[in-house]
Amino acid sequence: MKKIGIYPGCCFQGADIHNYDITTKFLENMGLDGILLERAACCGGGVIDDTNKKVVYGLNARNIALAEKEGVDLYTPCNTCYMIIAKTKLALDSDPELKEAVNKILAEEGLEYKGEAKIYHTLNLIRDFIGLDEYKKRIKRQISGVKIAPYYGCHVLAPNEVAVDDPEDPTILREILEPLGVEIIEGYQNENTCCGHHAGFTNPKQKERLAIKPLEGAKEAGADIVATPCPLCHKAMDGQEEPILQVTQLINVACGNTPEETFINVNKTEVKLSL
Amino acid sequence: MEKIKYTVKIKRYNPEEDRSYWQDFDVEVEDSLTVLELLMYIKDKIDSTLTFRAFCRSAICGSCAMVINNRAGLACKIQAKDKIKRGVIKIEPLKTLKPVRDLVVDQEPAFDKLKKIKPYLEPDPKVVPDNTKVESLVMPEEFARYDKQTDCILCMACYGQCNAIEGNPEYLGPFQLTKVFRFLMDTRDGMDVKERVKLAEDNGIWDCVQCQMCFAACPKGIASCEDILELRRVAKDIGEDNVATRRAKFWFESVYATGQIDKFNLAKVALDNEKGDKIKENLEKEFKERGIPEDEFGPKPFDGIEQFQKFIKKLEKEI
Repeated sequence: MKKIGIYPGCCFQGADIHNYDITTKFLENMGLDGILLERAACCGGGVIDDTNKKVVYGLNARNIALAEKEGVDLYTPCNTCYMIIAKTKLALDSDPELKEAVNKILAEEGLEYKGEAKIYHTLNLIRDFIGLDEYKKRIKRQISGVKIAPYYGCHVLAPNEVAVDDPEDPTILREILEPLGVEIIEGYQNENTCCGHHAGFTNPKQKERLAIKPLEGAKEAGADIVATPCPLCHKAMDGQEEPILQVTQLINVACGNTPEETFINVNKTEVKLSL
Repeated sequence: MEKIKYTVKIKRYNPEEDRSYWQDFDVEVEDSLTVLELLMYIKDKIDSTLTFRAFCRSAICGSCAMVINNRAGLACKIQAKDKIKRGVIKIEPLKTLKPVRDLVVDQEPAFDKLKKIKPYLEPDPKVVPDNTKVESLVMPEEFARYDKQTDCILCMACYGQCNAIEGNPEYLGPFQLTKVFRFLMDTRDGMDVKERVKLAEDNGIWDCVQCQMCFAACPKGIASCEDILELRRVAKDIGEDNVATRRAKFWFESVYATGQIDKFNLAKVALDNEKGDKIKENLEKEFKERGIPEDEFGPKPFDGIEQFQKFIKKLEKEI
């Protein structure tokens, strides 16, 4: 059984605690052995930068070093955690002085950032770690008669240096959703507009104005459900007329889990799937 | 040099009819063209009415920013052949500015916002000599703090890709906020820090959604989104008390104490009002209904948290 390190971000905390179960079920369905990186810390969430950018580099060097100590790559389902950790890896790998300085402090905890572990998000995990052929073999049933609008969210496509697919013509989400038997609706209005999650505290009105836009576009194009890989986009956009789910929830259902087992019933906007 | 065939899909705008429409141009051209040279070829050989703004062809004047395959950038800096996706290149005007004709947009609203933030140095008499015979020195390590930001050529690619403007048309914009940061960091600037930060706050730093699109768009590699985080940090450090600065402080304290952000208490602490209390109450109710034990409402420190705390302290001091 292939092993993968599960990075616990804040999307596994508090009211979003079920995201951890969705994630472990997804890995189980994919035949992977998920190793929880128990001593991993918050990626900074774009908020610790407000205190000290260098702490963010240190935190994530440590997170990656914890995976390396276990001899595994690091996987997070969250777009933002992915982006911030991958950006840190780029910074450390291109700046030997920064790497050395961080490693000097990490050594006191018996850790070392080597730069060997790869950083995975659900999308590139399926394509590059599991493989699309193996992924398709694990789909047990089809979710038929439902029109799905893929919604990537920003942080898997920007900045370009850490994008998991060609940011100008991404196809990975379609390639992952199609084998589930669903009909794909692409090219809808505002499909690339940000969900606004990160303005949720700094300006809640800004978040509300943005979150509705992709949903309205998807509804107008005839989609029944919007599917995003990102738990933060999901949280920001759930509760409107058009329902939104996480891609891993749909995968889990297609792999044989009941909608309840993958927490589709926790959605604020009700979703009905015909199986 | 090789000739290649592809379709150029251009979003045009006719002001006489106030109508936007897509038009396809099938071309067979050398594979060495930049997107700007491609547009010039179309104007020269196919449709002389095609309108776009361009000048230096060297990525320095900042005239030819447009959206190519959903991403803003400078037409003169981008190789056309790299942008052919399934036989097509898609070209549109910058998204958050009104088109004047075809790919030319009205830049005035963005310049008006730039004027609002006072994009100029107000010399600090303690630093800047009062005569022209003595130089006003800036040390290399001082300049390094805003060196990158001085590369901005006002092309507006970041502005044309900004999600925060989609949500709030009054939002100042990425390059405008980078400009605030640039002057704030300048050792010669005499404007009060609070005044500079205030200029960045009204429809500014708190509306940014951190989507990273400004960084992805910038032909000079400037990350306005990161400059905005720096401005938020300065706002916090000069003692501003609002929902965002309270959130930032609590976030750091919580991660320091447990390794994770305490989302159970975050809204209560950050909002610091009845709404925040209500959010916590509702969470508590939800957790109880879902059978989550009370000691799991918030994060618990992981084993070896003391070592982690030493790590954070050292990071702050030594890096």
